[in-house]
Amino acid sequence: MDELLDNYIRFLATLTPAYFVELFWFYFVFEFVRYFLLEFIVLNLAKIRAVFNKPHKEDARRRLFMENPLVSILIPGKNEGKHLFKLVNSLGEQTYKNIEIIVVCDGSDDDTPIIGRSLEKAGLIDMFIRNEVRGGKASAANTALRFAKGKYIIHLDADCSYDNDAMEKILIPFFEDERVGGVGGNVSVRNYKESLVTTLQGVEYFNTITTGRTVTSYLGIYRIISGAFGAFRADVIDQLKGWDIGPGLDGDITVKIRKKGYKIKFAQDANCLTSVPNTFRKLIKQRLRWDKSLVRFRMRKHKDVLMPTASFKMLDFFSAFENIMYNVVLNFKWYVYLLIMLSFYRPLFLNIFITNILLYTATNFVKFIVYSLYREKAHASMSYFLIYLPCMVFYFGIYLRVVRTVAYIQELFFKKSYQDPWNPRKTSVHAKHLGI
Amino acid sequence: MKHIAEHKDNAESIIEHAGFSFLYIRNLSPIPVEEVQYHSAVIIEVKNYDFVRLMVSSIRANLSPDIYLKPIFLLKKDTYDDAVMDELADGSIKGLDELDLVVPTVERISTRVQDLTFTNSISFEAQIITKLITLLYTKEQKTVDPFPYVYSNIGYYYPLLSVNFQRTEETVALDILKIAEEEGILRSDYYDRVYLCSSCSSNHLSYREVCPKCSSSNTTPDDIVHHFPCGYVGPMQDFKNEIDDKLDCPKCNKRLKHIGVDYDKPSVIHDCNNCHHKFQDYHVNAKCLSCLSDKSVETLKPTEIKSYRLTKKGELAAIKGFVTTTKDIDEVIGTIKYDTFKTMLKYEIERLKQTEGQSNICAINISNSSQVYSKLGSDLQRGLLKDLVSVIRSNIRSSDVIAFESSSTIVMSMNAIPNKIAKKIIGEMVSLLNDLIKTSFEDLDVLFDTKVVALDYAKTHEAHLKELITDFS
Ligand SMILES: [Zn+2]
Ligand SMILES: [Zn+2]
Ligand SMILES: [Zn+2]
Repeated sequence: MDELLDNYIRFLATLTPAYFVELFWFYFVFEFVRYFLLEFIVLNLAKIRAVFNKPHKEDARRRLFMENPLVSILIPGKNEGKHLFKLVNSLGEQTYKNIEIIVVCDGSDDDTPIIGRSLEKAGLIDMFIRNEVRGGKASAANTALRFAKGKYIIHLDADCSYDNDAMEKILIPFFEDERVGGVGGNVSVRNYKESLVTTLQGVEYFNTITTGRTVTSYLGIYRIISGAFGAFRADVIDQLKGWDIGPGLDGDITVKIRKKGYKIKFAQDANCLTSVPNTFRKLIKQRLRWDKSLVRFRMRKHKDVLMPTASFKMLDFFSAFENIMYNVVLNFKWYVYLLIMLSFYRPLFLNIFITNILLYTATNFVKFIVYSLYREKAHASMSYFLIYLPCMVFYFGIYLRVVRTVAYIQELFFKKSYQDPWNPRKTSVHAKHLGI
Repeated sequence: MKHIAEHKDNAESIIEHAGFSFLYIRNLSPIPVEEVQYHSAVIIEVKNYDFVRLMVSSIRANLSPDIYLKPIFLLKKDTYDDAVMDELADGSIKGLDELDLVVPTVERISTRVQDLTFTNSISFEAQIITKLITLLYTKEQKTVDPFPYVYSNIGYYYPLLSVNFQRTEETVALDILKIAEEEGILRSDYYDRVYLCSSCSSNHLSYREVCPKCSSSNTTPDDIVHHFPCGYVGPMQDFKNEIDDKLDCPKCNKRLKHIGVDYDKPSVIHDCNNCHHKFQDYHVNAKCLSCLSDKSVETLKPTEIKSYRLTKKGELAAIKGFVTTTKDIDEVIGTIKYDTFKTMLKYEIERLKQTEGQSNICAINISNSSQVYSKLGSDLQRGLLKDLVSVIRSNIRSSDVIAFESSSTIVMSMNAIPNKIAKKIIGEMVSLLNDLIKTSFEDLDVLFDTKVVALDYAKTHEAHLKELITDFS
């Protein structure tokens, strides 16, 4: 042990700045510059803009309540009956009142139809539509959309819960800028205390959603409105005739709205809590689906964004490019880094490994503490997560990376997503045939 | 030997045959129902069904045993099917030459009527139960079965019982049966269940699927179509085009080809043409064709229909006289027993022999009592009688007495006053009673008949009483 430490200290003494970059270019270029420096700068800029924008935002809120447009809340899903009563009750607590609630039960085989009908009868749900045969998430959302009468559409997941001002906050961006076509809400982990894996996801959601989307939204390259909490202008989503077959339909519709020339915004203060997978096994299943959809939608369905066509838009290109770059390409680049280190720097590998871990962990601590100052309010106390932060490097750097790699390979070479039972087979066949 | 006495001014005939007098009622020649009591049996010519129903019902609904127990025969030439009329009648013949066939029935009924005892009950329920069990006894019948019957307001008719009630009061028959069962007179078996209008107890309901928002039945169903390739979902209407009858997807413009392959119909949605609400789960409303109320089926009153059998106790009650144990109005404050009244009358007549004073007995009769009581139910009936007695009490001297001769006839003494004054007091009493009913019972028409008889010491007390109530039976 002493020898190891001795050895490591001697290694640190040899590190010159040039040598540091040579050994840790992966950390330096990608992690430090993109995920720390850039984000830190943008968070500050966003903060400054928010201060100057405050009167404008207050005016937008005032106009929202003056116009008081009807807002349709769509809740599509299968076997979600058990969550409905709680959800509907919490919607009754919302500060924004002019809402209609449309629930679509997509071929549920539990008590959902009975629960839904009784809530409809009690007047707690405006419309409950039961599709006897399952059609998949997109078709359920489209069913609800077809009967929605609101000027704005909010898409919710039945198992999520919402701050009582969440609907108001997610609607305000439409009144701040009339070119906004869709707004994504902030999604945090509700069950972060349940297990180690949920705690780690809590940190991850904070990094990638609360912080990450604030940054991409500021830069104009925000690209995914969560299905758990997203708002749309009804006329825009009507032009698109709703969602296409998933998985990844959230990202898909966001891209399509962007292609129509509308802006997409992230509302950090519109808070939604979701329950995340509580075991590593379940998480793998979820992430394989998500990661496959990135390949399927970015690189296959919407590859035109990357091509210099007539409808080419710099921001759309950059949004997709950044997404592919920092996920797919970087993912494989990491293996290149690993290989180089193993082959050319083998004697130093242990030291390099330790340094990387320390670097990432230190960054995680700094980011977590500093960035927490930039978010408006938090449901979880920051200190709860601190002792778990050292695990993040393994969770995010190794576990998720491996899952992602498997997903990319499966999808790039085997188009595995078309076999996902998440969609009924009858629809997947057509999606595969059409290459979407 | 047949003898037919034709009356010139009406078509009723009296046929004397085998020692019995048959009252022959021809088609569409109504006779006053009181006529029936002077004959041994009634023959009704069946041509017009409504007329037959009217005649048979008015005989069986009468409160006097001399009338309601009378054997009725239907003279039918062609096939006529009304099970309820057959149940109410005692038989049928094809022509007047078949009279011999019914003579044994007439004999049997006439003999059995002799066995009966009629107790003097003032409870309406007891009176109706007595009617039912005496009819069962004379007809040698032991069951009271419900008949599905279009003319019944509640769907099922107990002919011998329901005939006593107006269409809108038919549920009273069910209450009476329940009482009779509690008394041990009848035993029941489940037969069916009916759903009755919560406002008027009618079973004549029209069920419709209606819009849950506005209750309109003017709705149009439409299939919901899901196009698999693009995920579009909408009513069939969205897929229709103006050129041909093929279906095109409004989202991706593809033509729909093969159900189950490129599209399906996961559900149906209803469109309300009145308020434009769209819904899947329509409500079912029942519109009452009697009172026109239109309410959710959940508001209907589920009501059990049972079939009944006469018990041994019931049979005995017909012979020994039925006294209810729970529902009778034995004692209305301020009245005495009818037997006591009789005794006191006897003494008053004796007294008059010596003193030559002027005394009277009076009666007030509710002439539409069955209608009134079936509307009120037993508790309100009791209340009404109490009110009547208290009004009467305050208008006669304290030495005079009041008693119930029947549930609809109140008798009283008015001793030591001239007949003229007694008549005047009775007249005033009736107008007071009418005022009382107007103020305490809404929408209730009670018709009063009165009679005053001056006491004559040359006649017996029985003769007096007979004269007093003879008009009221
Ligand atoms: Zn009614
Ligand atoms: Zn309607
Ligand atoms: Zn289509």
